[in-house]
Amino acid sequence: MACLVAGTGVVGCCPRTVRGGGGGSSLSPRSEALSFSKESVLVRMGEAKKGLTVKAMAVAPKFIGTQRKEQQLAEMIEKKVIEAKEVCGEDGRSDECKVAWDEVEEISQAKADLRLRLEKQDPLEFFCQDNPETDECRLYED
Amino acid sequence: MAICTVYTTPSLNSTCSISTTSKTQLGFHQKQVVFYSSGKKTSKRGSNTTSPYVITCTTSAGDSKTVVIGLAADSGCGKSTFMRRLTSVFGGAAEPPKGGNPDSNTLISDTTTVICLDDYHSLDRTGRKQKGVTALDPRANDFDLMYEQVKALKDGIPVDKPIYNHVSGLLDPPELIKPPKILVIEGLHPMFDSRVRDLLDFSIYLDISNEVKFAWKIQRDMAERGHSLESIKASIEARKPDFDAYIDPQKQYADAVIEVLPTQLIPDDNEGKILRVRLIMKEGVEFFNPVYLFDEGSTISWIPCGRKLTCSYPGIKFFYGPDTYFGHEVSVLEMDGQFDRLDELIYVESHLSNISTKFYGEVTQQMLKHADFPGSSNGTGLFQTIVGLKIRDLFEQLISTTAKTPVEATKA
Repeated sequence: MACLVAGTGVVGCCPRTVRGGGGGSSLSPRSEALSFSKESVLVRMGEAKKGLTVKAMAVAPKFIGTQRKEQQLAEMIEKKVIEAKEVCGEDGRSDECKVAWDEVEEISQAKADLRLRLEKQDPLEFFCQDNPETDECRLYED
Repeated sequence: MAICTVYTTPSLNSTCSISTTSKTQLGFHQKQVVFYSSGKKTSKRGSNTTSPYVITCTTSAGDSKTVVIGLAADSGCGKSTFMRRLTSVFGGAAEPPKGGNPDSNTLISDTTTVICLDDYHSLDRTGRKQKGVTALDPRANDFDLMYEQVKALKDGIPVDKPIYNHVSGLLDPPELIKPPKILVIEGLHPMFDSRVRDLLDFSIYLDISNEVKFAWKIQRDMAERGHSLESIKASIEARKPDFDAYIDPQKQYADAVIEVLPTQLIPDDNEGKILRVRLIMKEGVEFFNPVYLFDEGSTISWIPCGRKLTCSYPGIKFFYGPDTYFGHEVSVLEMDGQFDRLDELIYVESHLSNISTKFYGEVTQQMLKHADFPGSSNGTGLFQTIVGLKIRDLFEQLISTTAKTPVEATKA
């Protein structure tokens, strides 16, 4: 990306007349430098869009402790949704009803956060380095 | 670099002990060096005191200021896409603190620390259930502690911050937070308390419309056992009264509001994939110059797709213009539609002004770096990235205007 890292702030650097339509049929030599990353971007942007429509594959946890936490959260979501439906039953505007659904929201978000965090690293990684013999630090096998 | 000067100089003979402390009385990041001299000495003034002299050193401007940013969002803490983009602009990825509580909500990078305001819950999950209050309710939060600790960090003093554990629903033992260059407080109530509000150097409110919120929560929750369209809808509805009463009013205080709405380009679209995003920027905020299109202060309607740029359906549409928002003068930049290709992004970037980039194409580069993040192909990613660059700009302006703090020696 020769133009982008020039750091000169010169506006005229990158051609404004880059033709759309992919492939890069009318590329000038300057644009050639862009085309390599263009392809990888084409793919990546496509994948990013796919991520919106198709549920991303979940990353498996490394340690038993984390797997248990995921399991616990999943069970809590189920349980609390049922609770909320019961509590709200007749009066959907009572305080108890609001609190019940707020709990569902909290747990759902916690589970989503854990899923997202797992994509990078198991949250127990550092703890388990220091305490490998604990029960929760056993390796999780599917 | 530290500059230390001693104004009066007793003779420094015999034993000297030096102690340093980074705790300050004057509110700057300072190191104080105390010299004790023992034994007889004659000073110019002829006194025989052996009182210690305190030499105060201040680090040069740039090290001595913590900039505080507030981000109001209803999407959990610290892992939000906005946060990741923001910390990436400053350099480095923000990670949870190594060691310590694995359920900590805090994120730390070289320059930035992100604190989740849920940590200031005064009531844990059981407590809230007993009192019948949601987490959105101010009664569930300790604003006194929030104010105390944010103020302390801003003044350069480390704090022991509580941890709210979202899994157990309990308040865990505190973790030590050291004052960073940039402190971001993220959560439901960053601008609720006026004292905390006054500590913020910049504030942002992420305003997601109900339709989009619903679509995002479906994506988030539909795979979970127990959830259904009805339960997701019911959860949003039940929280709405508290949300409207306590959270939503904060947007009038924000320096920038990012409003996310369904697209207007596709009639009756309810999939929430194409988004219309509005960046509402307050005028007259110090160190913050709103982004504009073509001609500042005018009203522009712009469709970049045409002869020079071909876009796929449904295309891209921009709007820019002045407006008023809760009685304030604002500038609004709006993008409806989706980026499909790199050249669309560069093309758009090259037509925007006041985006505070350090080089041409920086916005595009940042977007590409995180092409897998949600919003990378629409206005949410674009405006979050731009706001990140504006904050960087604000930070640099702020620290360069910190007066070179005077150096003085005081008798201890």
